[in-house]
Amino acid sequence: MRRAQRRRDVLRAYLLLSPSLLLLLAVLAYPVAWEVWTSFTSYSSLQEGGATFVGLQNYRLQIEDPQFWRTVAVTVAYTALTIAGKLALGLSFALLLSRPFRGRALVFLAVFLPWAYPGSVSVMGWYWTLSPPITTAYSALMGNLKQSVDSILGGGAWLFLTVTLFNIWRGSSFIGVLLLAGINAIPPELFEYALLESKSPWQRFRSVTVPLLRPFLALGAFLSLTSAFTDIANIWMLTAGRIVFPVLGTQAYWLAIHGGEFGQASALSLLLVPFLLGVLLVLFRLFDAPEPA
Amino acid sequence: MSPRPWWVTFGYSTLVVLVTIYCLFPIYFVLVQSLKTAQEDVFGNPLIVLHPSFENFEDLFEAREGSRGFVGSVLRRSYPFLDWLANTLVVFAGTLALTLSLSLAAAYALGRLQPPGFRWWRRAIFATYVIPQTILFVPLYRVVLGLGLDDNLLALLLVYPAMALPFCIWILSAYFQRLPREIEEAAFIEGASRATAFFRIVLPMSRPVLVAAGIFTLGLAASDFMFASLFLLSGHNQTIPAGLGTMEVALDELAAVAGINLMAIPVVLISSLFARSYVRGLTAAMVEGS
Repeated sequence: MRRAQRRRDVLRAYLLLSPSLLLLLAVLAYPVAWEVWTSFTSYSSLQEGGATFVGLQNYRLQIEDPQFWRTVAVTVAYTALTIAGKLALGLSFALLLSRPFRGRALVFLAVFLPWAYPGSVSVMGWYWTLSPPITTAYSALMGNLKQSVDSILGGGAWLFLTVTLFNIWRGSSFIGVLLLAGINAIPPELFEYALLESKSPWQRFRSVTVPLLRPFLALGAFLSLTSAFTDIANIWMLTAGRIVFPVLGTQAYWLAIHGGEFGQASALSLLLVPFLLGVLLVLFRLFDAPEPA
Repeated sequence: MSPRPWWVTFGYSTLVVLVTIYCLFPIYFVLVQSLKTAQEDVFGNPLIVLHPSFENFEDLFEAREGSRGFVGSVLRRSYPFLDWLANTLVVFAGTLALTLSLSLAAAYALGRLQPPGFRWWRRAIFATYVIPQTILFVPLYRVVLGLGLDDNLLALLLVYPAMALPFCIWILSAYFQRLPREIEEAAFIEGASRATAFFRIVLPMSRPVLVAAGIFTLGLAASDFMFASLFLLSGHNQTIPAGLGTMEVALDELAAVAGINLMAIPVVLISSLFARSYVRGLTAAMVEGS
């Protein structure tokens, strides 16, 4: 009886799961297969005739290219910078909001807004603010700022900085709210107990807050990681395609759309997937619900 | 406890003010821009608006066909903003409905019915987030063409739910998994079916988590620019972000900024209304017994 019941439940589970799986497969299966296959071929819009299978050549070409390593360096710097910025700011927001003060509800809304404000249009707002069209009152100011940043750090630094700033501004809001949700789950008695046990706030932070926030920190870090690696739309918008500091995403886009080298572009964008998967597998341990004992 | 010294209170308030300014300044700046006349935009103070006017907003709803006159010798296009607005509504509502119903079903399956290997099913679904979107749209465009959905809002109703589903399934199923068995069992003893127990007991309980999933989905759909502008080509079929992307910034900067606000304000209002619930939902999804 129970076995029959269980079997029915399992069948039901697959039935309920199937619409989501179908949708994901419809959207992802063919594109991913196409990308993987293309990365092993010489597919290029510059080439006459069909694409031929070239094995790992595209990957080798990329790895041997010094430009690739420069791109990797920029991507890693960008990722590290944005993740560190988002986690640090997000954690400060969450800690700030974790204790009561007058007007906390309003400050909470303020922290929530950068993420809730539609990214598709706030990125345009940022773009026009930081690199304004010719005719506004602040154009001169922004122009000067851009010039001075670029002259100190090299051409394109301003654009890179704006992308990083935008990513951190929006992401820190998401992480802040996520971590606040985590702090809310910590029973207040635990803080009171810690207050008795240890005098130093740093120690309390390290031994109580961080371990209890671990699942939230891990989830936040992973989502920041993927947004830094896989999302090119914002970079694209903010730099309007003028890539001076290429990250892997924009570099691959450039190779494919402007260079026509689809094979190489596919290889380039797939090169990091194993790394991301590895990170995800480690993080799953931290934010997945523990096995029932 | 001794009262905190004045400088701690002062430092704390300063921090709060700084955080608020940091979060709100860009939003404020864009809002102020949109209320300016062209005159004030060029000669006024960038940070404040002295003579607020809604002419930029009116501009967007004006003459839906043809031109809006000349600037010097350059023709100013007019934009079908009302169509963009309607399309955006359709896409967002559809995305929400589709994502929430699909992820509820899948999450119930994974969190409650727990087929063999359900953890790995969930992880595999979540792992789709590592797929780089960079050139994925090239083959994705072929899929859209193959389904006959190019220049059709339905294309976005495939893509947005696919982007939101993994996160929604994750938090909902984690929540369902943590609900104690007994919650439904009492209903089963009364003779209720699984479906009845779900709609009567589990679903009402999971409202905050559902809200969290919904707000996340809305945030994701509202932040996409790339897919919207790739898949929707003709002006009348575009959503607001895609449409704004086609505007001549040099000529219509202020109208475009007004468009940004018209898109953002409703989304922000809805999100703000549910903000507290959103936080509660995230807590409930990640932590046992809360």
